[in-house]
Amino acid sequence: MAEHISCQEVIELVTDYLERALPSEEASLFEQHINFCDGCEWYLDQMRATVAAVGRIEEEEVPPETRDKLLTAFRHWKRT
Amino acid sequence: MIAYKFLRRDGTSVFTGFRWPLSADAPGAWVDAPIDPCRSGIHACRPADLPYWVGHSLYEIELDGDIATEQTKVIAPRGRLLRRVGAWDDELRDAYTRMCADRAHELALGASPPLEQWDAVIEPSVPEGPALLGFVAARIAEERYGAAAYDAERARQSAWLVERLGL
Amino acid sequence: MTEIGVQSSAAGAEDVELVARLRAGDEKAFEALVTRHYATMLAVARTYVKTRAVAEEVVQEAWLGLLQSLDRFQGRSSLKTWILAILVNKAKTRAVREGRTVPFASLAGQADEPAVEPERFRGPHDAFPGHWRSYPGNWGASAEVAAEDRETLRVTMRAIAELPPAQQTVIRMRDVEGYSSDEVCAALDVSAANQRVLLHRARSRVRAALEAHLDG
Repeated sequence: MAEHISCQEVIELVTDYLERALPSEEASLFEQHINFCDGCEWYLDQMRATVAAVGRIEEEEVPPETRDKLLTAFRHWKRT
Repeated sequence: MIAYKFLRRDGTSVFTGFRWPLSADAPGAWVDAPIDPCRSGIHACRPADLPYWVGHSLYEIELDGDIATEQTKVIAPRGRLLRRVGAWDDELRDAYTRMCADRAHELALGASPPLEQWDAVIEPSVPEGPALLGFVAARIAEERYGAAAYDAERARQSAWLVERLGL
Repeated sequence: MTEIGVQSSAAGAEDVELVARLRAGDEKAFEALVTRHYATMLAVARTYVKTRAVAEEVVQEAWLGLLQSLDRFQGRSSLKTWILAILVNKAKTRAVREGRTVPFASLAGQADEPAVEPERFRGPHDAFPGHWRSYPGNWGASAEVAAEDRETLRVTMRAIAELPPAQQTVIRMRDVEGYSSDEVCAALDVSAANQRVLLHRARSRVRAALEAHLDG
């Protein structure tokens, strides 16, 4: 008997789907739903956009003491 | 094996964005599909599967190799597009959408008591197109009669499509 | 577009050049390298040891370890894979010294954490239960997420910084640094399934923060 899944179920499967960790039949139910549901298609795109945004974050500050310690160590290592 | 495949307006696969080789008068080139745990091979529809995958453009596809079957699709390691099914155009898409909407109303309002809340979703869903309305009608059938009715409604949708598309 | 996790691979031209610059004593190159990986290394170390202060020490030890073994780097793995291996080694050693046995998975947060609040979906007694009450936004049309908008980056960074530790570590390793799923599981000693749960929750929280920022 053919099944279907709700939007609420789909949003919990998004990561597994993107990771290619959904078994074939479940991936099929997921895709069927995305095919007819604009809301979930947009949600999937939002998750992709989120991954892309995370990938673009800039380096965060290294605490000054840590940076100084490491630079000192580097200079010491340079000389040896 | 001859099967069917819906693609986006621009000739790319709905889920992978893969651009299918197409030819105006001749079959497109053969495509070999990589094997992948979650999404292996080339996915295609038998006539009964069409309602589940309704998309913008419909093509006839020839599949080759060992063909696996799943509940609502077949999967092959090799395929090539043969021709576009021209009958699946804007007019027929709209007609299918309206057919599903009318069926959905019939199912919802024919119930005792009428499924008013379910009926209220139908018309606002129409702009979203044929795939959604197919689901809405089948889902209301299920609500009224049970799980087997969902499948039966999908079978009705398939028969409608096969007849109108001349498959 | 399908997602493909970045798999660990041999060192590319960039890595080879960077190592050459380090060997030549290029301080700026070293500082840039440290800065680029610091937050993630700290997050990983933090999962092994008791305090942030100790985690910082572990990270420093890892960088020293890297310099000391730089001559042995042959480019068979990428530089970031190599750094990770050294870091995990130092972290584990330190954890043993501390007598720490808290498993990583216990840092996961609440047992159940829906990706989207249940109120946004139709209830069990409504028509079409479980479907959106109203759709989320169509960001494909929004330039802000597509472009490298500074405010969006700030919102993203803040959202990541506010994640529970285990979620933060996984999303940094996977989506910021591009470590593969296998590498993350090995480094943090978690199953693939648990790693995915943490990644799912982390991404869901960041998405929610972006949604609040973009859609108001």
